[in-house]
Amino acid sequence: MPRPLTYISLVLVAASLIPIGMVFKSRSVRSRQETRIQVVYDMDSQFHFRAQSENPFFADGRSMRLAPEGTVARGALRNDDPFFNGTVEGDTLFVTQFPLEVDSGLLDRGQERYDIFCATCHGLTGDGNGLTHIRAAALAEGTWTPPTDLASASVIERPAGHLYNTIKNGIRNMPAYGSQIPPRDRWAIVSYVRALQLSRNATMRDVPPELRGELPR
Amino acid sequence: MAPENRDHSQGGSSGTGEPRNEKFVFPRWTNRLVELSIVLVVGGLIYATVLITGVFSPENSAIGYAPVQPVPYSHAVHAGELDIDCRYCHTGVETGAQATLPPASTCMNCHKYIKLESELLEPVRLAVETGEPIRWIRVHDLPDFTFFNHAGHIQSGVGCVSCHGRVDNMEVVEQVERLTMGWCLDCHRDPDSELRPEALVTAMDWHPEGDPAVLGGKLRAEGEIDPSTDCNTCHR
Repeated sequence: MPRPLTYISLVLVAASLIPIGMVFKSRSVRSRQETRIQVVYDMDSQFHFRAQSENPFFADGRSMRLAPEGTVARGALRNDDPFFNGTVEGDTLFVTQFPLEVDSGLLDRGQERYDIFCATCHGLTGDGNGLTHIRAAALAEGTWTPPTDLASASVIERPAGHLYNTIKNGIRNMPAYGSQIPPRDRWAIVSYVRALQLSRNATMRDVPPELRGELPR
Repeated sequence: MAPENRDHSQGGSSGTGEPRNEKFVFPRWTNRLVELSIVLVVGGLIYATVLITGVFSPENSAIGYAPVQPVPYSHAVHAGELDIDCRYCHTGVETGAQATLPPASTCMNCHKYIKLESELLEPVRLAVETGEPIRWIRVHDLPDFTFFNHAGHIQSGVGCVSCHGRVDNMEVVEQVERLTMGWCLDCHRDPDSELRPEALVTAMDWHPEGDPAVLGGKLRAEGEIDPSTDCNTCHR
């Protein structure tokens, strides 16, 4: 074989190893940041829009549309004041009674929802020592206000509807959770907060006699 | 007689004394061209196979994908250190197909008071002010011809960690599973080791005592969980 041809072949063979090497490097390195590799692009990304995707057709660029102002979706009319607002029907006074049946199922749901949405600030027992509060305090954020102790006298005295309204619309520095927690879950949380208040102020006399031995001293 | 005539005339015109036609005889090394071309074709095929499977394999094209997001939100801080439940932000995950990304206002629940001056949070503040959404980049992106429902999996007790990995340890979210059809089917055919009590779906570091498949099998029988492997379960 003529010399130049031999050299060219050798260079080509050597060069062909580069893509292979790149593949193996890529496979061994985690956290790659480049664009996604799509094998069959036009099947992977079809001409339709999925939830929370971009759509250049609309002025705001959203594929999901907001409901036109002043409209109510079918079945979504919220005209039950005690249940949806925590107020007496046709009034702004807060209800003192739960507008739904409180059973252990609702309390369990309330505990789960409380742990998801509330515990990060108010703490798992409601004493205001949640992890987010602890971190904010450690960062010495001057703008941070310590969360309220949910078993304090002022919170215990509040009517149930007031607590419900606080979850829905927020109070002072606490933001509104109405968009994150649906109405029934708000009531479930209120019922669990009541249970926390009871337990935090409980004495040995509140514990059934047969269970007293199981409590740590 | 004609070839001889031509030889003679060409040899004569070259004036070197060599027969002119030697220039048109293939050099000796070309005898190996047949073998060479076989090597080239076979080698090329092997090369192409290795390269194509290497480039397009999910281990390369999907696992480890960790795009740079418009806000360097750290799951390690929020879901790890602060132990905020996944559902605090991804509120749709229990009831809908999408886990849903939170609106910027959810960030502001806390960041109205924490890290007010942070430059990193500028896009969040801007989004809340103007209503212009933050353009997060989807990391776990199934092809558009597949249907996936988060709620169904959560209600069956498939933990977040089964598909998304230890997000609570990730500074930057990255894909850790293949998310291919074969991978989906592996679990749909034998889900026992990925099932857990529904109350623990978002627990990132939870492990059952003993063999996960034993507890999973029990949960599957109790919950009558029967994952479908029909085509139209996912392709509808």
